[in-house]
Formats: sequence, structure tokens, C-alpha cells
Amino acid sequence: MLDDRFDDQVRDAAREYNAPPPTPRDVMWERIVAARTGREADRRTEGQVDEKVRPFIRPVRPFARPSVRPLRWPIGIAALLAIGIGLGRLTAPGTETPVPPVVATLEAPQVNDVAYRLAATEHLSQSESFLTLFRASVRRGGSEQLASATARHLLATNRLLLDSPAASDGRTRLLLQDLELVLAQISQLSGRASAPDLDLITDGLEDSGVMSRLRTAVPSGTSTTQGVL
Amino acid sequence: MGPRVAFRAKQPSVGLSCQKCSSAPPPTIRSRVHEQELIGRVLAGDPNAERALYDAHVDRVFRLVYRMAGDLDRAQDYTQETFVKAFEKLREFRGEAALSTWLGSIAISITLNGLRKVRRTRDREVNLDDSPPVGRVDRHAEPDLKERLSRAIDDLPEGYRAVFVMHDVEGYTHQEIAASLGVHPGTSKAQLFRARARLRETLADFAKD
Repeated sequence: MLDDRFDDQVRDAAREYNAPPPTPRDVMWERIVAARTGREADRRTEGQVDEKVRPFIRPVRPFARPSVRPLRWPIGIAALLAIGIGLGRLTAPGTETPVPPVVATLEAPQVNDVAYRLAATEHLSQSESFLTLFRASVRRGGSEQLASATARHLLATNRLLLDSPAASDGRTRLLLQDLELVLAQISQLSGRASAPDLDLITDGLEDSGVMSRLRTAVPSGTSTTQGVL
Repeated sequence: MGPRVAFRAKQPSVGLSCQKCSSAPPPTIRSRVHEQELIGRVLAGDPNAERALYDAHVDRVFRLVYRMAGDLDRAQDYTQETFVKAFEKLREFRGEAALSTWLGSIAISITLNGLRKVRRTRDREVNLDDSPPVGRVDRHAEPDLKERLSRAIDDLPEGYRAVFVMHDVEGYTHQEIAASLGVHPGTSKAQLFRARARLRETLADFAKD
């Protein structure tokens, strides 16, 4: 009984939720007519254009982006050129993309250091043998023509080793640098080298202690020419 | 056991004349044939037919819009916009549903969009604690059932409130509601069930008194 009475109360209350006032139909109708007339007038104004003026009228687009039509041909030509150059570089023989130089890092394999040390030892051994023969030859007054060619060959190897990990050791690097100077002097000798030039070289060998340092740096039994000498 | 509150509208669903608006004439459309004829005349540019169509439907549209908006100015704006849009789009009306349903769908769409805009503007401009919720009529604080129910309806989620107002307050059928809101009739029923459950829950302490 109580529930039924409550239901009735709720029904009545719900019916009065936002109870609408009398419909202001005339007021609204006037506004509707005005709105429709205004929109219709706008449409007609948009459509009514003098035929003489129409060809010169362009639609107004206040925030329109600039037209790309004038740039169409230059852009197309530039794109074609870029594609052509790219294809040419890719397909041309011997013009491969340069490989970036490999930089030796701390993580480089240990075997490389050993190989460079072995190569350096071999080079120092050959140099020591060469210089020994050269000094003997100078004392005998022999030809330096062959010595010069051998010195150039050794000089090339010496420079490679100076730029290699073999020169990471300070003593070896200093030895190679002194050796480079000597080898460079010998390689400059011509067939008719003067005695003072030869003396200068041999004196330099003695003064810088290159020979003794070479013998110290080269362990016994490593030289390939040891048996020859 | 909680109170069982059944919200059932006693009003007729279609062709409802506004009992509170004495100046409003009863709707003239009684049949689809008459409706099609009127539409044809409107499309032919007959201004009298336009006014007749407006008179036939404006009460129902205005009542629904006012119930949702709870504000006379907004209700007028939304009703006007509904008819302006309806006249613009009348050629697209295919007659698959009743014209009143079609108008209802336009009206509820415009109203809900308008109320969302108002809510967004209000959220930006004032403190929510100081402002009444959208769709609420400024009432005196009355600790009675009407006041409590009105507040409870105001606090319903938008979809629940639309279905509750259309069905239990304005007497729309679930088919009409579904067509107006663009949902399945089952969805309309489910939302009405949930809306009623929320209201029962809110008013439970009132029922005990």
C-alpha cells in the first residue's frame, strides 16, 4: 500500500520534471522563417554573378596554401635528375660506395698484434742484415746501386710498420724512425755516390746506435738472412 | 526489500496535445497519407503547408527539447534549429518512419549536441561546484519528492536521461526512442531499466519515510 502510494508520487513528480511552458510557436516560427530566408539569400548571393565578371572571379580561400602548379615542371625535372644521378652511381662500374675505413679498436683480435710484431721483427732483422752488408760494402768501395734499391724496398716496409700497431711500443717506434732516416739516405744514393755522403751515413749509423739497437731488438735466430750471413 | 518504483507514463505517446499550453492546437496529422501529402506541398514550395507541418509537430518537439534542456531560451533555439534543418533536409526524408519520429531524431541530436557544448563552456568558465548542472531548471530548494527526483534525473548519464525522459515523461515508445537515438529498441529498454534502477536507489531513503 505504501509502495503504491510512493509509485504514484514518483509518477506525478516525473511528469513535472522540467515541465515545459506553453510553446512559443509564433515567436519560433518567425525566427525559423527569418533564418531560412537569410540562408536562402546567402545561397542566392553566392550563385548570382554577372556573366561579364564571372571569368575574372576566383574563389577566395583565405587560408588556402599557395598553389604548387607553377613549380610543377621544375620539381619534376629536379626529381628526374636526382633519380638519374642516384641510379648512375649505383650502377656505374668501379664506383661503388666507398667503404668507410676500418678503425682498429681496443677489441681488435690479439692475433693482429702478434702478426704485426712478427712482421716488425722480420723487417728489423732484414734491415740489420742489410745495413751490415752496406757498411761492409762501403768499406770495400763497392757499388751502392743495389743498396739503394734494397733501401727503398725496406723504407716502404718501414713506413708501413710505423703506421701499424707494431709501432705502438715506444722503443720499436723510435728505432723504426731512426731506421727510416738511414734507409732514406741510402735510398737517395746514386751509382756514383761521393765518399763524404757514404761516410755521413755510416757515421750516423754509429752515432745513433741503430745497429746495436737493431741487434738488441731482433732475437737471435729470427733473421731469414742469418744463415746467409 | 527495497521499494518497487514503477515509472510508467500515463500520457499517450503520439499525437499528444500539450495540456499545459492552451494556445497549442492539436496535431493535424492523423495518417501517413496526409503526412505525405503535406510533405509534397512543402517540397513544392507551399508556405501554408510549411506552417501546417510546423504547427502539427512543434509542440511535441518543443516539449521534448524543453524537458531535456530545462531552459526556455535553449529550448527555443534547439526547436528552431530542428525545424530549419528539417525543412532543409526534407527531400532526404524517405517516409520509412513517421515524420514525428524523424523530427524527434533531429531534435534530440541537436539538443544533446547543444547541451554538450553548454557543458563544455561551463566547465571552462566557472567552477563546477558553483553552477547548476545542464538541463536543470532553477528551482527553490524543496526537500520533497519532486525536487529529489528532478535532481536524480539531472544526475543520470546523458543516454539514460534521454531514454527516461522520452519514455516515462513524454510517453515515446521504445521503437520511437530507438529510431530517434539511432540505437536498437533493446538498448533503449536496457537503458530505461538502468535509469529506473538508479532512481530507485537514489530515492530509496525517501520511500522509507
